[in-house]
Amino acid sequence: MALTIKQQLSSPGGILKFLIKYNTIFIFIVLVIFSALISDVFFTSANLTNLLKQVSGIGIISIGMLIVILTGGIDLSVGSLVALLAVIFALLVNTVILPVAILLTIIIGFSIGSVSGYLVAFQKMAPFIATLALMTIARGLGFIYSKGSPITFKSPGGEFMADFANNSTIGIPNIAIVFLIIVVLAMVMLRYNVFGRLIIALGSNEEASRLSGIKVNKYKFLVYAISGALAATAAIIVASRTNLGSPNMGMAWELDAIAAVVIGGASLNGGKGTAINTLIGVLILGLIGNILNLLNVPSYPQQVVKGGIIIFAVLLQKFESK
Amino acid sequence: MENSESEYRVEMTGISKSFGPVSVLEGVDLRVKHGEIHALLGENGAGKSTLVKILSGVHQKDGGKVLLNGKEINPKNTHDGQVLGISVVYQELSLVNDLSVAENIYLHKMGASKFWMNWKELIKDAQELIDSLGFDINAAARVRDLSIVQKQVVEIAKALSEDTKVLILDEPTTVFDPNDIKKLFENLFRLKKQGISIIYISHHLDEVFKIADTVTVLRDGVDTGSLPVSETDTDGVIRLMIGRDLKDLFPVRDIEIGKEPIFEVKNLTARDNLVHDVSFSVRPGEVLGIAGLGGSGRTETAKLIFGVGKKQSGTIILNGKEIKTKSPVDAVGFEIGFVSEDRKEEGVFLPLSIRRNISVTSFKSICTNLGFLKVDKEFKNVIGLIDKLNIKAPSCEVDVKNLSGGNQQKVALAKWLSIDSKVIIIDEPTRGVDVGAKVEIYNLINEVAKKGVGIVVISSDMPEIMGISDRILVMHQGTFYGELQKEQFSEENILRYSIGEPIK
Ligand SMILES: Nc1ncnc2c1ncn2[C@@H]1O[C@H](COP(=O)(O)OP(=O)(O)OP(=O)(O)O)[C@@H](O)[C@H]1O
Ligand SMILES: [Mg+2]
Repeated sequence: MALTIKQQLSSPGGILKFLIKYNTIFIFIVLVIFSALISDVFFTSANLTNLLKQVSGIGIISIGMLIVILTGGIDLSVGSLVALLAVIFALLVNTVILPVAILLTIIIGFSIGSVSGYLVAFQKMAPFIATLALMTIARGLGFIYSKGSPITFKSPGGEFMADFANNSTIGIPNIAIVFLIIVVLAMVMLRYNVFGRLIIALGSNEEASRLSGIKVNKYKFLVYAISGALAATAAIIVASRTNLGSPNMGMAWELDAIAAVVIGGASLNGGKGTAINTLIGVLILGLIGNILNLLNVPSYPQQVVKGGIIIFAVLLQKFESK
Repeated sequence: MENSESEYRVEMTGISKSFGPVSVLEGVDLRVKHGEIHALLGENGAGKSTLVKILSGVHQKDGGKVLLNGKEINPKNTHDGQVLGISVVYQELSLVNDLSVAENIYLHKMGASKFWMNWKELIKDAQELIDSLGFDINAAARVRDLSIVQKQVVEIAKALSEDTKVLILDEPTTVFDPNDIKKLFENLFRLKKQGISIIYISHHLDEVFKIADTVTVLRDGVDTGSLPVSETDTDGVIRLMIGRDLKDLFPVRDIEIGKEPIFEVKNLTARDNLVHDVSFSVRPGEVLGIAGLGGSGRTETAKLIFGVGKKQSGTIILNGKEIKTKSPVDAVGFEIGFVSEDRKEEGVFLPLSIRRNISVTSFKSICTNLGFLKVDKEFKNVIGLIDKLNIKAPSCEVDVKNLSGGNQQKVALAKWLSIDSKVIIIDEPTRGVDVGAKVEIYNLINEVAKKGVGIVVISSDMPEIMGISDRILVMHQGTFYGELQKEQFSEENILRYSIGEPIK
């Protein structure tokens, strides 16, 4: 119903309802205030820059994860893809000129994603299984191509990328800018383009989509391919930040990406979710890590807290749907 | 009949209910006697389903009182309702597709029974139950493989158990042919004799006058009172429902029908042979009716044409040229439309808004070349259709799952009737739609036909198919058994052809 914010707030129980409706933003704001209160380093530009840099890689694959989840699928391969493609990018950057290295890496990412897409869309394989298989294959290939150890950038192109990845423009880290551009693109495509309309329709009722004449298989295929291309973009960024490509990168990132999308209110059944909420989901996850680091909480308790927040966020969404 | 001091089995008084800011029921009374069939009538969105869902525990009332056998009850969920002996056949099918018929029938009782199930016994019991209803369904079959008619029968079987005291049927016959309906009614009369109280919701007023003892009419969430059926007639009920007289249910067919067929099907046979040697043609502006009993292959034929299901042989000709429809994408590419009879699974997108639902077929006209939406145009288009079809909703941003059944049907239709097509196949066009809205739909079908579109209507509703078709083909066992011209239209002729007998 088209009620204004004011009306919503003034109706009985309105404030609570409002908070539940916008729970993701609400949790985010609470976390920011909380962080600012308990740590005086939090609001320093060094810390915020660092936070943005840290979330950009996972953020980019989360957007890919979102569009896959919107169709009712899942992509478990993205974490391993980041490792494999970081290795490939490091190898390429040392052999061919930079633009070619970037382009090739993204094309390879798109192609590997297409394999998942093909298996899911045309071979009717369960997305969980198809991408699980791709996940172990990609991780294995990463180790094979790198011979088990990190590959450092050793070319002017590599140096340029390292510079780019570690610097900022008008105060915002360059890689965060890349991430935000991708978020905006996704937002526009999901909201104002037929592509978004169709994958959301597909995720909310596949049979009705097919009978509406939607090319169901094409779109199912495409979302995995795009997710692969985004994993490649993330790989280039994380490799450039550390000046190397390692087969150990992106460990369990697929899980963080799923968590971010779900915290952002998307439904694993498909058909529900937005790019902006996924962005907030990514920031919430990043914030939790950041603040716990500032408080010197060791990494194991951190994992426990993270899990707790995920449960809390999803429980709040249950309220919303009532 | 059991002894009870209260006159009524169910007594709902002053019931009110709103969803958010939208008030749906305001002080509604409903009193049902022991062993009575009580019809609950009203326009789409009047609040019928909501009222019975309050009785069964799906929704909680905001105000009012519910008495069962004179005792106040407050079912918090459907389980509470079942324990009290209130069983419901809901408007929308709610079966688990991947389980067997027997499992579905006993699903809600499984939790309470012993830990280990005796499958053989379960299937035997379910089979006996279905047989006793007079329908032919294999209790061991998977629900996914059943036709929608069979699914509906399973729903009914599921609602019957030894301790049912109140049986609620929310539009149970929308997919039934006259034969099925007759069987259902025999069962209802039997149950009534056993003292079970039945609340029967339907938009088929003729049915109501055949079986009901009392009618209650809801209008916009307020009841306009209850009457014994003997004291009213169809027109009286319609007046109570829509507040005015309804003159012509069916529009005058004064369309110039083209000479050359726009669409032809020759010897179409399905790979599974459920449909074989089907041939027909439609001319521009013509409305071709397809009648037949449930399971005679009408829906399968439509789906075969539309590219769902595998063809064995046969040709499809559009505007004199042969076309191949291997998938719905192909069919839509040739501007063929298809409205499925199964709106929940195949027709609408329940979690999406009315706007997103309707637009899904019309992107060609509301998008730039790069696929960006012209939102203004989209809104204008959607709001126009909501108006035209009188879809009852607070705005076009409401999710379709929150619409009443009849209004969901209008959304499913709007999606296809608003775009340019050459042929449209409509399977049960007015499933669950009230009398007033039926007129709007028939008018719209007529309007579309006027543009030179060939229209094929599949319907089990006799008055409907005779009222809107120019010609009727009757299916029997997977192929067309006979054709009826306008002057031959009669319920008897259709029935004769549908059971494979010649007409007199
Ligand atoms: N869960 C819900 N949330 C919001 N609105 C709802 C919900 N369920 C029903 N409504 C609204 O309540 C009104 C009454 O709906 P209901 O389903 O009871 O109508 P009905 O009389 O059964 O109509 P029909 O003949 O079309 O089935 C409708 O306007 C509908 O949009
Ligand atoms: Mg209803």
